[in-house]
Amino acid sequence: MALSCLTRALRSLTVSQPALLSSQAAAQSNLGAQMPTTVGHCRGFLTTAPLEQNKTFWKQREKYTIRPIGMKKTGGRDHTGRIRTHGIGGGHKQRYRWVDFQRLRYESGKEAQPFEEKVVEVRYDPCRSADVALVAGGNRKRWIIATENMQAGDVIKTSGVIGRMAVLANEGDAYPLGALPVGTLVNNLEIQPGKGSEYIRAAGTNGVLLRKVNGTAIVQLPSRQQVQVLETCMVTVGRVSNIDHNKEIIGKAGRNRWFGVRPSSGLWQRKGGWAGRKIKPLPSMKSYVNLPSIAAK
Amino acid sequence: MFPETAQCLKAASSLFSQTVYLKELRRLSAHGGARRHFGVSRCLTAKVPPAPKPRQKVEIPGLEMVTYGERMHYVPGLSKPIYPGWERDYKDPRYYRSPPVQDMPLYKEKPCYVFSQRTSMLEGVRQALWLTKTKLISGLPPQLVSLAEDPANQIPDQDERVQNAIKHARFWDTTVERPGKEKYSNTLLINLMHLCATLQSVHPAIGRRILAEKYLLAATWKRGEDLFQIRGQNRLLHNCMDPLPEVSGKQEVADTADHVLETFYPVSPTIDLQKIHMYEEEVNCSGFRDDYPYPHAHTLYFLEAADARCKLRIDQFRANMLMFTFGNALARAHKLYGTQPQCVLDRPITVQAVGTNGRMFQFMVFQLNTTDLSGDNGVKNQVWLDEDVELYEFAKVQPLIKKKQVKVPAGLAGYKPDAFSKFLALYLHGAV
Repeated sequence: MALSCLTRALRSLTVSQPALLSSQAAAQSNLGAQMPTTVGHCRGFLTTAPLEQNKTFWKQREKYTIRPIGMKKTGGRDHTGRIRTHGIGGGHKQRYRWVDFQRLRYESGKEAQPFEEKVVEVRYDPCRSADVALVAGGNRKRWIIATENMQAGDVIKTSGVIGRMAVLANEGDAYPLGALPVGTLVNNLEIQPGKGSEYIRAAGTNGVLLRKVNGTAIVQLPSRQQVQVLETCMVTVGRVSNIDHNKEIIGKAGRNRWFGVRPSSGLWQRKGGWAGRKIKPLPSMKSYVNLPSIAAK
Repeated sequence: MFPETAQCLKAASSLFSQTVYLKELRRLSAHGGARRHFGVSRCLTAKVPPAPKPRQKVEIPGLEMVTYGERMHYVPGLSKPIYPGWERDYKDPRYYRSPPVQDMPLYKEKPCYVFSQRTSMLEGVRQALWLTKTKLISGLPPQLVSLAEDPANQIPDQDERVQNAIKHARFWDTTVERPGKEKYSNTLLINLMHLCATLQSVHPAIGRRILAEKYLLAATWKRGEDLFQIRGQNRLLHNCMDPLPEVSGKQEVADTADHVLETFYPVSPTIDLQKIHMYEEEVNCSGFRDDYPYPHAHTLYFLEAADARCKLRIDQFRANMLMFTFGNALARAHKLYGTQPQCVLDRPITVQAVGTNGRMFQFMVFQLNTTDLSGDNGVKNQVWLDEDVELYEFAKVQPLIKKKQVKVPAGLAGYKPDAFSKFLALYLHGAV
């Protein structure tokens, strides 16, 4: 590419007329009579091809894999090259482990049956605060978010059945909200059935199943906000792993740089009203019930 | 002369500005195509708006669209003609497109699970035992142990020569200060085999063997409902003119029917095997022609660091050894007794395997008693496995010093003669 660029630039600088463009050259000379002829337009030419920046080829995958995927750092820039998020850049190289957030993903050929999986490994994940667990069941392996006491060798259960009786769930099992007793600590909450978990995934967090009202369930999030979702939404029982994440001492400014966080500006700003004590009522309950489900689409 | 050149220059410069002008025009007119421009004289970096979505075409049955196809040029208001895609009537390998998977001649509905030398099985030896319907016995068989302890079978100056072989592999083989694992494990294996081969004057049957490298193995069997294949190559194979004698007698073989195979629910036994739909059924090849004078596999030698792209953990490595040993025996059994599964073979087929990483050795003796692997009942195959036998503890180029004290001196330390005697016993098995 760089070579073609260079040759094009050199061709335009040649003194003799290009032989192969004889028919076009006549037309161009006519046009040239109307245009002012200035060589000064050409300030220089590039001899290097620009690299394709901020492309997300590493994300575009169709088939699930448990292999760590090499990531490219964006430095907070979006596809146009402008800063989208400040304070991102540098840090240790990280690899992405594709976590399967849709816990109730049946293996092909074994639909609608509760299934069990064995934990192979629980390990640190650089891309999130919680730990991840590699689970194997049937013919496949996948990464999931680990719960607090998950260990290699545990067998965890996943079921989509809502029975008449509430189940006695162990930690790490995944059930629909309707199948669990009231007061259960849950994590990895789905807000639309079948969409995959979106809430309560950070390290050490858990929600509480407060009550079940005709086909819906109300869950208290770690922020004390209450959400109302359909009772077919899947949750994992227990608390997310790495519970001491908030007690971790960063120790020095450079350690934040290892995580890829750049320093904030350091400009002194007077504290305003945001800094004082606030007394405000709890936000009202958020309802996700009336949204059309994924399956209906 | 000078005015001429000036004229030429003028013409050239006008040409150049023309091209720039045309380029800009082209850029304004078309959003698609190449968006990168290498000219730096003007602003070309503005963000191009994304291409508009193509309009949805409505198909009304029974309504014929009026196209401008016959006019052979674009006419506003008439629709674009749709022509059938052009297919070349000649063969061009550059533009070859493979047919869909379902139309290929080898496509089968039933999947086949393939094991190859790079397969890393999650459950390791347990999974391999289930797949091959094998009973595991830890430790080598007693007659092999007694063979190793017999002083008549020992090499003169055995310990010293083995230590020299280790030192050669670890220190003296190359000019590199510290040779890599793939280098020294290979050298050590060849040195030890060479040492064993010096006993040919005592046991002339050793001469009836040959080494084969990079042979291709293929074997097919059924386990449960599924079809399995083993394909690929391991590194070294010792072939023999005479078959190895069976290790356990008829009674012991019949006793294995009571053994219950270990399962590992919820993990399926086919995990990590490659699932394919395009395969040849009944593929069965030991890697050699039928009239090959050394048809019997004697010992397979595995190097842990042989394949730099595929690093197996130790359990997976042992599973790999077991699967290939089984595959060799099965290919031979299919050749001898036909591919129809037989409950109990008249003469069981014995194949040995030795795996090493340059320090630790894994010894394995496999005996194929049955080729009827479908059900979990009946006679099982047997494998004797001696795991993690150390040949020596340390071979250091530099001494290990901690707190100003020499913990491990440089050179070979902690030599254990037990490992080599087992190696020798497996080598002499069948020749004594």
